[in-house]
Amino acid sequence: MHKRNMFKMAAAAAVLTLTAGTAFAQEIKIGFNGDISASPSAQSGQAGVLGLQAAIDDLNAAGGLLGRRLSLVVRDDLSQPPRSIQNMSDLIDNERVSMIIGPTNSGNALAWRHIPNQKRIPVIGFSGSATDITKPMAAGADNYMFRVSMVDRPQVAALMAYVKRNPASKVVGFMFETTGYGQGGLRDMQEIAAMHGIQPAATERFAVNDTDMTSQLNKLKAAGVDTLVVWAQGAPLGHLLRSMEKINYFPRLLTSWAADNKSFYDAAGPQLAERAIFLRTVTDERSARQQQLFDRVSPRLASTSSFPFAAHAYDGMMLYAAAVRQAGTIDGPKVREALESLQGRYDGIMKAYERPFSRTEREGLLASDFRWTHWKDGRLVNYGDDVVRSLRQEDFRM
Amino acid sequence: MSATYLQALLSGLSVGGIYALIALSFSITFTTTKTLNFSQGEFVSFGAFVGLSVLLLLSGTFDFNAVPADASAGLKFPAAVVTAGVLVGVVGIFIFLLAVRPFAGKPGMSWVMSTIGFGIILQSLGLVVWGPAVVNVPAPFGEGVIRIFGAGVRSQELVVLVSAIVIMLVFDQIMRRSLLGKAMRAVAFSPQVASLMGINVTLVMVGAFVMSGVLAGFAGVMVAPISTASLFMGLGFSLKAFAGAIIGGLNNPRGCIFGGFMLGVIESFVGLWHSEWREISVFVLIILVLAVRPDGLFGARTVDKV
Repeated sequence: MHKRNMFKMAAAAAVLTLTAGTAFAQEIKIGFNGDISASPSAQSGQAGVLGLQAAIDDLNAAGGLLGRRLSLVVRDDLSQPPRSIQNMSDLIDNERVSMIIGPTNSGNALAWRHIPNQKRIPVIGFSGSATDITKPMAAGADNYMFRVSMVDRPQVAALMAYVKRNPASKVVGFMFETTGYGQGGLRDMQEIAAMHGIQPAATERFAVNDTDMTSQLNKLKAAGVDTLVVWAQGAPLGHLLRSMEKINYFPRLLTSWAADNKSFYDAAGPQLAERAIFLRTVTDERSARQQQLFDRVSPRLASTSSFPFAAHAYDGMMLYAAAVRQAGTIDGPKVREALESLQGRYDGIMKAYERPFSRTEREGLLASDFRWTHWKDGRLVNYGDDVVRSLRQEDFRM
Repeated sequence: MSATYLQALLSGLSVGGIYALIALSFSITFTTTKTLNFSQGEFVSFGAFVGLSVLLLLSGTFDFNAVPADASAGLKFPAAVVTAGVLVGVVGIFIFLLAVRPFAGKPGMSWVMSTIGFGIILQSLGLVVWGPAVVNVPAPFGEGVIRIFGAGVRSQELVVLVSAIVIMLVFDQIMRRSLLGKAMRAVAFSPQVASLMGINVTLVMVGAFVMSGVLAGFAGVMVAPISTASLFMGLGFSLKAFAGAIIGGLNNPRGCIFGGFMLGVIESFVGLWHSEWREISVFVLIILVLAVRPDGLFGARTVDKV
């Protein structure tokens, strides 16, 4: 009896010391700032949080980082720039996070990217694809913005290379949605088209809430447009296809990656959805690593089409962890330098990363990592035709 | 070429039908209480999701990610329309009691903020219950394209167009013939005098907000198969509808309906010409109309005695 009590006391003492020990070595806090509730893109944000949490769980299971446990602090920005800016200051100044993953929407990153640059806290984007997000605040300035996601510019470069290489594309038309997203895409389209000497026969616009674009399409039809490049979000892209069906006009359709969204598939319907060709970072033909993570997070994914964001966030977190190990500290400037000169190789969910970033290269995923994709029987599968197969590196102009 | 113009006309009328329905719901509260419900857009979205929930429940599921293709078949769609109309009508009572009545008739524009705030609460509640996802709603008469002289239109667009016209005619009769309509017009003319004549003014005002809510809920379910349902769908439509109501004349229900249809057709035809002028033309038209006829094209001139 007595002996047993002694044992109990010893165990209790051990537990006490352990808790005290972990309390001493402070946790490393990782922040997430993005929309997870308020707009159609919130599903992407939710997927990002799931992927980030999975990465943190894996790191903690393997003993944490620099002997310290990791914890996640999530802030919802409701897609609103003012809220997102506020979250950024809150995460950095009050929560004292050492790194932030986010945001969900490009516009919010553009609204606050000066903050992490001033406070010298690395940020890794997992969703927003606007080209300018990862540009330095001034030429040559230290840059704390990194990204493991799709990027608009190389996407457009690939679509324009397709137009240039396709012998059937004789008359090209552009269409865009009148939001920041659509207009940013249009600018990229016009600039890269000019490099190829491609002159669009018509450029038409529509509002993000429009459900009928027959008038604009009839103009393109009258101009004889046989290839249409469109930059818009998922739902209006779907309505565009429905309008095409109304006037029975189906040019070759190349679109922004928003066509991978379930909102596009639902709005267009299963048959029409198959007509759009676009780029994506992961198709439903997943690698073994991707399938593993997919099986882990998919029960909690609102829509399986948002899986790439989980994978991007997972890899972003792991690349950060590698940089911290290399730097031996979580000090912002040192981690940034380590990220810009990562040694060794990290076998990620998306690919094997070898020195992904440098002082000028901010993108973890490059045009060569993007997949040509289309919908087939409700799945996002690899797309291939003679034009895609004929594309060479020199066709991608940026 | 004529098919192109016919297409623009049909597309314009079908979008205009949506505007007209919501414009009418703006007009109802304005004519009786001289206030507007600035959260009408949220009412429309809320109605769409109430209707969608009914469609799913009647189909024996509650999975918003997999709406069955036959979810709108048979009597399910009418049931969803009625339920959404009734429920949003009830929400209309609440907005009147909580956000309009405390401020109506008092100097200042407090009811503008309070109705907008009510809409934010409604949308947030909706996000808690249904989440932010965009949900596809099957049309009761299928998704096929109906061809009329080379122009294409979908069944649901025709349904919205026809029901907007029918509702307009019925409403017109109610307002002009029935006792209720006369009471509403009396309250609109002068609440004090109406009250002296034995009309329960508060009840009539509540009735106006209920009718406005019923219309918004109805519009939400009717529009959902065209626009796909989302809790953000109502705002765009209600802004245009409000513009249509201003053009037609807020205090004339017939004018509001006309304004809604006109806006849809103008948008469609301007799109044929220069799509960048679509939004501009709508608001240039509003400024022109207000400059020439401040009460809208069909609005009755009101003179405020000072």
